[in-house]
Amino acid sequence: MRHLFDIGVTVNGTRYERTVEPRLLLSDFLRHDLGLTGTHVSCEHGVCGSCTILFDGQPVRSCLMFAVQANGHEILTVEGLGTPENLHPLQEAFWEAHSVQCGFCTPGILMTLVPFLEENPNPNEDEIRAAISGNLCRCTGYQHIVDGVKLAAQKMSASQ
Amino acid sequence: MKLEGEYIFDGPREDVWELVRDPDVLATALPGTQSLDQVGENEYEGVMNVRIGPVAGVFSGRIVVSDEVPPETCTLTVEGKGKPGFINGTGYVNLIDQGDGTTLMKYDGEIQIGGRLASVGQRLLDTTSKSMIRQGLETLNKALQARIAVKTGSGEVEYKPPSESEFAAAVAKDMAGEALSSSRTKWIAIAVVIVIVIVALILINIGGG
Amino acid sequence: MTKKYIGKRIKRSEDPRLLTGEALFVDDVEIHGMLHAAFLRSDYAHAYLRSVDVSAAQAREGVVAVFTAETMGDDWQPGPPLVSPPPTVEDVIFHSRTQVPLVKDKVRHVGEPIAIVIAENRYIAEDAVDDIMVDLEPLDAVVDIEKAMQPDSPLVHDDLDSNLAAHIEQEKGDYAAIREGADLIIKRRIVIDRGAAVAMENRGVVAQWDAKSQRLTVWDTTQAPIAIRNGLAARLDLSEHQVRVIAPFIGGAFGPKMMMFYPEEMLIPWVSIKLDRPVKWIEDRYENFYATTQERRQVHDAEMALTLDGRILGVSDVFLHDSGAYDPYGLTLPLNTQCHMMGPYDVANYYSESKVVFTNKTIVTPVRGAGRPQGIFIVERLLDLAAKELGIDPVEIRKRNLIPPDAFPYEHKIIDQAFAPLIFDSGNYKPVLEKAADMIGYDQFVKDEQPRLRAEGRHVGIGIVPFIETTGVGPYEGARVTVEASGKINVATGVGTQGQGHFTSFAQIVADQLGVDVRDVHLVTGDTAEFHWGTGTFASRGSVVAANAINASAKLVREKILALASKVLESPEDELELADGVIRVADIPRISISLGELAMLANPLRGAVEPGTEPGLEATAYFGPQYGAIAFGTHAMIVEVDPQTMMIEIKRYVAVEDCGTVINPLIVDGQIHGGVSLGIGNSYYEKLVFDENGQLLNASLMDYLIPTAAEVPRIEIGHEETRSPLNPLGSKGVGEAGAIPVPALFAQAMENALPEYDLEILEAPLSPNRLFELLREKEREL
Repeated sequence: MRHLFDIGVTVNGTRYERTVEPRLLLSDFLRHDLGLTGTHVSCEHGVCGSCTILFDGQPVRSCLMFAVQANGHEILTVEGLGTPENLHPLQEAFWEAHSVQCGFCTPGILMTLVPFLEENPNPNEDEIRAAISGNLCRCTGYQHIVDGVKLAAQKMSASQ
Repeated sequence: MKLEGEYIFDGPREDVWELVRDPDVLATALPGTQSLDQVGENEYEGVMNVRIGPVAGVFSGRIVVSDEVPPETCTLTVEGKGKPGFINGTGYVNLIDQGDGTTLMKYDGEIQIGGRLASVGQRLLDTTSKSMIRQGLETLNKALQARIAVKTGSGEVEYKPPSESEFAAAVAKDMAGEALSSSRTKWIAIAVVIVIVIVALILINIGGG
Repeated sequence: MTKKYIGKRIKRSEDPRLLTGEALFVDDVEIHGMLHAAFLRSDYAHAYLRSVDVSAAQAREGVVAVFTAETMGDDWQPGPPLVSPPPTVEDVIFHSRTQVPLVKDKVRHVGEPIAIVIAENRYIAEDAVDDIMVDLEPLDAVVDIEKAMQPDSPLVHDDLDSNLAAHIEQEKGDYAAIREGADLIIKRRIVIDRGAAVAMENRGVVAQWDAKSQRLTVWDTTQAPIAIRNGLAARLDLSEHQVRVIAPFIGGAFGPKMMMFYPEEMLIPWVSIKLDRPVKWIEDRYENFYATTQERRQVHDAEMALTLDGRILGVSDVFLHDSGAYDPYGLTLPLNTQCHMMGPYDVANYYSESKVVFTNKTIVTPVRGAGRPQGIFIVERLLDLAAKELGIDPVEIRKRNLIPPDAFPYEHKIIDQAFAPLIFDSGNYKPVLEKAADMIGYDQFVKDEQPRLRAEGRHVGIGIVPFIETTGVGPYEGARVTVEASGKINVATGVGTQGQGHFTSFAQIVADQLGVDVRDVHLVTGDTAEFHWGTGTFASRGSVVAANAINASAKLVREKILALASKVLESPEDELELADGVIRVADIPRISISLGELAMLANPLRGAVEPGTEPGLEATAYFGPQYGAIAFGTHAMIVEVDPQTMMIEIKRYVAVEDCGTVINPLIVDGQIHGGVSLGIGNSYYEKLVFDENGQLLNASLMDYLIPTAAEVPRIEIGHEETRSPLNPLGSKGVGEAGAIPVPALFAQAMENALPEYDLEILEAPLSPNRLFELLREKEREL
């Protein structure tokens, strides 16, 4: 006999109502129940940061949360940041700086950076590296990512 | 992995030996034990919940007692497996009469661990298992005292076996105590706590601002 | 051909989709009615399988099927070897033993799959895995490769006399003879240990058998979709055209995603056919540490003979190579090591003997570097120790031994991983080494800065390591280029893409050949329905072999365009130019036709065509190099060590590379950054630790430490360009270069940082812990 719970979660501005098992991970809920596959799962033990999403504005590991914990809360995933036709300045900067290789760690890094740049609009290299030190990347060696963040900071302050 | 140590029981050897061979008492000394049944003269079968760090699960196993020289020595062979992996081991137990009404237990064993327990719980295995053994022996000692009190008629000494969560808390406290045991590490730990508090205060301020 | 795009730092066309979460990875595939798989894997490294009882699992609600080796019946068979032994070398011993879909008689490594559960969702499947009762009789595990070769060792494969998987000797000149006359012999035992690729995306397979159309579609995180397709068709008794394998966006690969087959790659399609339902399996990170291949463990007894002025007379090496439980990848890894043990140096005498050993550990196949880092580590360590003894500056001793530019092509007279003679095609090594020394300020650092810092009590060291890399090996790749009626160009090739930016770099080549905007070139990689000839992405060959195939077919299309346009515009071909998506008369630009219109004219719906005409503006071409191109590079590093905490800080890191013609420097830089960061992991943070029972003690990212943004420094890159004569583009590979010299570089720099300890670092990886032990050992000695 499976216990099921009704939950209501707002993701990228849209409210979703679903019935789920209590043990369903938030990452699986987003990816498979809601079809938002931009958030990626890489370690399922909270180390790599690929699954990072914004939970009521704070970056959290969606692989360490249950969907039922998101009941009544607001989530922002990478799909809510921009579209190929309308990129967020952070995404544009990443594109220009070649911050993306395989792209698997990218959504988690973007979501980590969104609140970081809001609080640190003009970060230096060390601050940027510390901010993303909880996001593992195996392809880029981080350098172009750091360049992308600096470029994004410029773009975002220019537009203000 | 080697497991060795000593423990002093507040009671005579014969009573300690009796206790150690009583599956009902043993089962309570290690909370998480769902069952421990004697299935042969020297054989026990049991089912136990095990948690080491992030790895948890149910183990089922067999314990065989051999080379018995009561109330002095015996050898225990353990074979357990479950979802988190497997544990196999052999331990040698020696009880020594201290001559003052207490018994010194010396144990010395070697265990092989495999599966998720070994791969993911590795860092905590050493300290957790030592701590679990220590807590278990302390509980046994309490049971011993209760039994002696009943025997000698010196009044009720209550033996309340700890619940699973109490046991876990005691193990955690024990492990933390180990970490803080040297005065140098204690100061470091205090400094760390202060830093954490300061950082937390800063973050709270940033978050609110 | 106007050079507009090749050599330019162009933004990648695939990025907008990757940046917005709109790119399809294997786990993103959702098919109506899809079932999910989970595996029961062995907890023992070596054990007889006595029985498996799946009844409880089958009875669980939501479970559709459970399979074991027994219930697979006649369909059970071991995988084919991916790489066969070298055909051309005599006296090679090779025992081929390949991985199995599910364990039948004996478990040979922790994580080997014993049963597969198919259920409505992954959660239920994993619950059911716990229901399975398996009876394993443990055996002593074979873990240490030296112990494995002792006569009383347990056997990984009972039908063999020993744990010897393969034996190969190679020689050049006569080392034994030259040894007699040497002024200095440096002889050391060097041990290198295992590391994992740890791509951010774990492996996965989705298979969909459509019984009505009798077609199998497979999405697989593979570097070689064509090999998988052909293999699956053969195994499942289907025609190749009934099977389509798609390698969509892949979250990093680095070598281990190149296999045929992993047990899961074989099983999931088989299950889909058996149940007539789509099936998905996604690996979790714990499985990834055991069930995805690893690499690097070797034990070397190495020797170098030199003259008093530091000239290398010869190198000799005997080594054991750990293959894990099976050896599907042939001799590729030890051959690579052998080919790199002379480095970029002019060495006339060489002897190498390699014994490949079976152990009860995870299977070994290439991980970025693929045996090359080990070879470079050996030669560079020996040379560094010789430099110390002879009192010669490390840069100087290397300059004295580099192959001079007029000696190319330089023949090494041994064979490489492609079983071809090892020939260094082209190179100009000294300028690259000098550039690296220059960029890091080597002389000034050693003369001024280092003494000054040392006087302050700081431990700073400098290292510089040149290296070669075999790249661009055959056999071949192919491509098809098509001009569409819209004027856009479609390109299809067989290699897959795992982040290297093929969609852009390959488009640059075509855009230059056909005079179109690079954004109008659309590329398809890794889909056997689009292109089904080729081998895959591995061994740093995409920008050589696939790129040249694409170039060749684009050239053929260009010729067709000119021929047809010449008729249509009534002008001789040599007066025409291709630019801006049109063909026009160079001097009279208003006489022109767009590519799209020309394509339509080339494919008429009515009328007659001349005999021998091919429709459309399309061509397919193949390219296979004679042998692999040799790239060269030099890395240099300044590092500070704290001998109290053993923590390090890389103050500066310089990488100069020469990979021939560069198609997109931005992408090449990215490849070097990524390779160096893996190399840094292999040098100081990453090590797979197995205990004596074959249990991996750090099978999670908590304990297997991948460098983060805080550990990887800013890397300064320099380029040199010595074209390869082996292909029209003149390119050489660079995908693995970043990772190859790093362990050797670390060893040199760390020894240099701690001179008072007079360390000899003869192992990789190091770690803070290990460095602590080494320093304490030295303190006791002194």
